[in-house]
Amino acid sequence: MKRHSLTLRLSLMLSVTVIVIFSLCGYALYHSLATQISVRDDAALLTRIDQIRTLLRDEDAITLIQQKPRLFANMLGNTESLLVLRFPGQPPLIVVNPGQRPLPAITPIPADQPLTLSSVHHLVSAGGTPFISAAALAPTRDGNGQIEIVTGRLMRDRTQTLQHYRDQIVLATTLAAVLVAAISIWLVRRALSPLRSLAAEAEAIDVRHLARRMPGQAQAELEPLVAAFNQMLSRLETGYQQLSQVSADMAHELRTPIGTLLGQTEVALSQTRSLGDYQALLGSNYEELERLAKMIDNMLFLARAEDASQARDEQRIDLASLGEKLRSYFDDMAEEKAMRLEMALNGELQADPLLLQRALANLMANALRYGDAGTPVRISSRILPSAVELVVENHGPTLSADQQARVFDRFWRADASRHQGSSGLGLAIVRSIMQRHQGRCEVQSAHGITRFTLRFPQPA
Amino acid sequence: MKILVIEDEAKARDYMRKGLTEAGFIVDVADNGVDGLFYAREHHYDLILLDVMLPGIDGWQVMAEMDQQIHTPVIFLTAKGTLEDRIKGLELGADDYLVKPFSFAELLARVRTQLRRGSQQKLPDILTLADLQLDVFKRRVERGGQRIDLTNKEFNLLHLFLLHPGEVLTRTLIASRVWDMNFDSDTNVVDVAVKRLRQKIDGPFAQPLIHTVHGVGYRCEAEA
Repeated sequence: MKRHSLTLRLSLMLSVTVIVIFSLCGYALYHSLATQISVRDDAALLTRIDQIRTLLRDEDAITLIQQKPRLFANMLGNTESLLVLRFPGQPPLIVVNPGQRPLPAITPIPADQPLTLSSVHHLVSAGGTPFISAAALAPTRDGNGQIEIVTGRLMRDRTQTLQHYRDQIVLATTLAAVLVAAISIWLVRRALSPLRSLAAEAEAIDVRHLARRMPGQAQAELEPLVAAFNQMLSRLETGYQQLSQVSADMAHELRTPIGTLLGQTEVALSQTRSLGDYQALLGSNYEELERLAKMIDNMLFLARAEDASQARDEQRIDLASLGEKLRSYFDDMAEEKAMRLEMALNGELQADPLLLQRALANLMANALRYGDAGTPVRISSRILPSAVELVVENHGPTLSADQQARVFDRFWRADASRHQGSSGLGLAIVRSIMQRHQGRCEVQSAHGITRFTLRFPQPA
Repeated sequence: MKILVIEDEAKARDYMRKGLTEAGFIVDVADNGVDGLFYAREHHYDLILLDVMLPGIDGWQVMAEMDQQIHTPVIFLTAKGTLEDRIKGLELGADDYLVKPFSFAELLARVRTQLRRGSQQKLPDILTLADLQLDVFKRRVERGGQRIDLTNKEFNLLHLFLLHPGEVLTRTLIASRVWDMNFDSDTNVVDVAVKRLRQKIDGPFAQPLIHTVHGVGYRCEAEA
């Protein structure tokens, strides 16, 4: 699933936040306004009843009402108001009821009780508009008993006011949300523009431009990304260069034996030869082919060594018996070269036995190949607290600093001319074996002594 | 002894047939998995050499199919030498494997080992070649009634030669069997060891027993 763009997500989130906040504020304001208006209306209704009560205390008032009800009607009522004055059980003296609404059945407040806001009844008219009403009794001077005042008011204007207010809130909220969305899109775009330029920079880096790097003056948040990306580029560049170099070297290495094979076979086939010649040819071909096969084996070994997922078979290895095995393998060869093997391997080591044997054998073969006649090759071990070091030391030509730096490279040989029997991969294999063990290999060479050290980290 | 070779590559198939026939085996070949499976079901073989990468049904499938009915030992041949690959083959019931490219001498040695295992044939305690005698248990070597003192290494090397009389043994095979060094160590260790053995075994005698096979390796044989 494609993730939504950062810009869209941010502006949506901000808009929703604005809508929620505005809605909550709007609701609170609306509610408080509605309550205030309602209280004000209720108080107005009660004031009217009070006024009428006061009016009715006047002796003449009743007479006047009885004589001129319309005057009072006009004076007291309007189109939204309801007002009925009556003696209980008698036809009303005044009825102001323009909406022709049925009279609410309310128990009137007794004449000696003051009116409170709770005396007001909140009803809903047939049209859904709120309707408030109240009823009270008022004593009359002439002692004819009490007169009942029923009054009410349809809250049409209040509804309208609130409706208007609500609309305004919704409008403001919507506008704010849209504005926030637009502004945030713009802001986020602006803020993310370094990302886009980084992307453009990254796009310009391809195989031919691996040396290019991302610009360093990035925003604080992007700096770690840029640094990590540049480091990755450096590693890629090194790896790529090594890979190209290895491919080129390998092609070069293949060229020699294949050239020999082609040439000698071609010459041999150009005319009829003796059986012995054919046998010699095939034997020679076999030698070259075997060399190729070994090279392929070694190259594959190196390629696999770089694959960290490759299974390893680690065991505790007794170094003394491994030393004996290697001595048995190499001592004839050492003797042929008038060299001595000094085996001083002791203790135990956690490693892959085949790989360890191979690494040591390669180092020993190397030491015997380049060591001077009459000198010893010393193989020793050193047990450290969290590692084991194996050292192979020979007396021979000193390696220059440059040679020391390249000694573990594939196909590199100390003498430029092809050294018979050397694949040029032995030390590269040693290095990759050490990498597989998360260990290190080092070379030191000074005053005619060359020392290779393998360091195997050991679990505590 | 009948061997079935299932291999799709024509040249490889031909040299294996030729080499194994010359080594005294009766060889049938199949160039795909379906035919191979058919032959394996129809005839009785003492050993099957199975290439893993076959067109149609591959070697793994052939092995899985055979496993249920046929109990012939199988050596599988693979170009991929990864540990996972090897484990897979052995889990499917293969008895041994060889990673390409391999030397024919190595193949022959593995074939003989498998066939010996199948027949439970006991190895002789005393190996002889012409006037040379090697006693495996006493670790004694005599030639023409004359005791020859050999180092451990020389004894093991001669033992290997006498177990494979007339066969060409490559340097890789020798390094692997005598010293358990299963990799190319870029050295002439084997040549040095053979040279020293020769000095003791052949040096004082008229008839040489250890012969150099040019380019390939060595062969132990009482040539006319």
